[in-house]
Amino acid sequence: MKQVFDVPDMHCPACVMHLEGIEDALPGIQRIRVSYRRQRLEVEYDAAQVSEAQIVSAAAALGYGIQAQPSGG
Amino acid sequence: MNQLVMVFIIGLTAGGLGCVAVQGGLLALCLAPRTSPPATAPLRTKHGSEVPTTDPRLAATPILLFLLAKLVAHTLLGWALGALGSLLQLTALPRALLLIAIGIFMVGNGLRMLDVHPIFRHFVLEPPAAVRRYVRRRAKKGADAITPLMLGGLTVLIPCGVTQAMMALAIATGDALLAAGLMGAFTLGSSVVFFTVAYLATRLGAVLEENLARAVAIVLLALGLVSVDSGLNLAGAPISATRLIQAASAPAVRLSPSAPPAVTSMNPASGENVLDVRVSSSGYTPAQLHARAGVPTRLTLVTENVYSCALALVIPELGVEQMLPLTGEATIDIPPQPAGKVLRYSCAMGCNTAQIVFDQ
Repeated sequence: MKQVFDVPDMHCPACVMHLEGIEDALPGIQRIRVSYRRQRLEVEYDAAQVSEAQIVSAAAALGYGIQAQPSGG
Repeated sequence: MNQLVMVFIIGLTAGGLGCVAVQGGLLALCLAPRTSPPATAPLRTKHGSEVPTTDPRLAATPILLFLLAKLVAHTLLGWALGALGSLLQLTALPRALLLIAIGIFMVGNGLRMLDVHPIFRHFVLEPPAAVRRYVRRRAKKGADAITPLMLGGLTVLIPCGVTQAMMALAIATGDALLAAGLMGAFTLGSSVVFFTVAYLATRLGAVLEENLARAVAIVLLALGLVSVDSGLNLAGAPISATRLIQAASAPAVRLSPSAPPAVTSMNPASGENVLDVRVSSSGYTPAQLHARAGVPTRLTLVTENVYSCALALVIPELGVEQMLPLTGEATIDIPPQPAGKVLRYSCAMGCNTAQIVFDQ
């Protein structure tokens, strides 16, 4: 499963490193790519282990509001 | 010496705040296991990193270890960059272009931090994903003494915008020792701020973060403009902020009977212009001299206890690059110049400038 999120709150490349920490915090994250320039987060995950809502919550816990793009899945 | 003080101050101001913004989360990660569990929900900076609940005795040691390793790593990095610069054997013009490019990079970075337009997000270097992952996982490993040392060393891989600009300056020096000194002085300055902010990390720090970022951006903009100006000076460009200010304020010394003989005169035997310039750590005096066109000119530069880049004299148009003695005299012979010619010279960093105007 692949989902793309908009991350409008990213201020600097350090945010990239923080957001990439989601892969350590949640099970089932297969690949995570964060782009500061595009203000985007791309996640490939195992839907049996983790949900989109959990990813959104994990980002919120790090201080970032993320929004799923409709065409991302 | 002046340069070292200057970069120390840059570290103490913009560098420190910039480094905290980019690398503070890394330090927070390695501090986390040492701090007592928060009674309430953990504080978070705007970057999402938890502000450690500081137990002063527990927090100081890892911060100091982290900063010590950061200082050593950046000094070594400076040495390597300076050595790289010396291998490239950059002459004045490429160095000038490098300074202008650094300046544009700094200005772009400042505008990025102020979020002026998305296009400025390109004015930053991002470490590769594999490096970010390694650094992040290393940070979470544990509370031993090695972790903060390792992480402090790894900060060279995630430099803030100001550090990146200093790295470029280190290359531009073309001198390994000077570059090591520059990076060391810069990191030392930034470490003071880093330690203070990290040690006193409180709710106030989190609230202030946005304002700090703006302050960093403004300092970065100013430094960028100074760098562009220095590049223009070093290239011998007729227009730069420094030269415009000098033209408006510096008194011109003419080669005439009324001019002070100690500064400028004519050799009666050879008929050549004899110009004396006093070199101090803050530049060349007078900043503008007038000489007669069509005859050779002997330019004598007198130094006394000068410890600044003013010692590295560059006359771009003549291809002259000369190191002056700390105390003493150096003479440069200038071939006859046409009337109306303005011969510009500066220090190798482009921050001190002067010129000779050749009259009929």
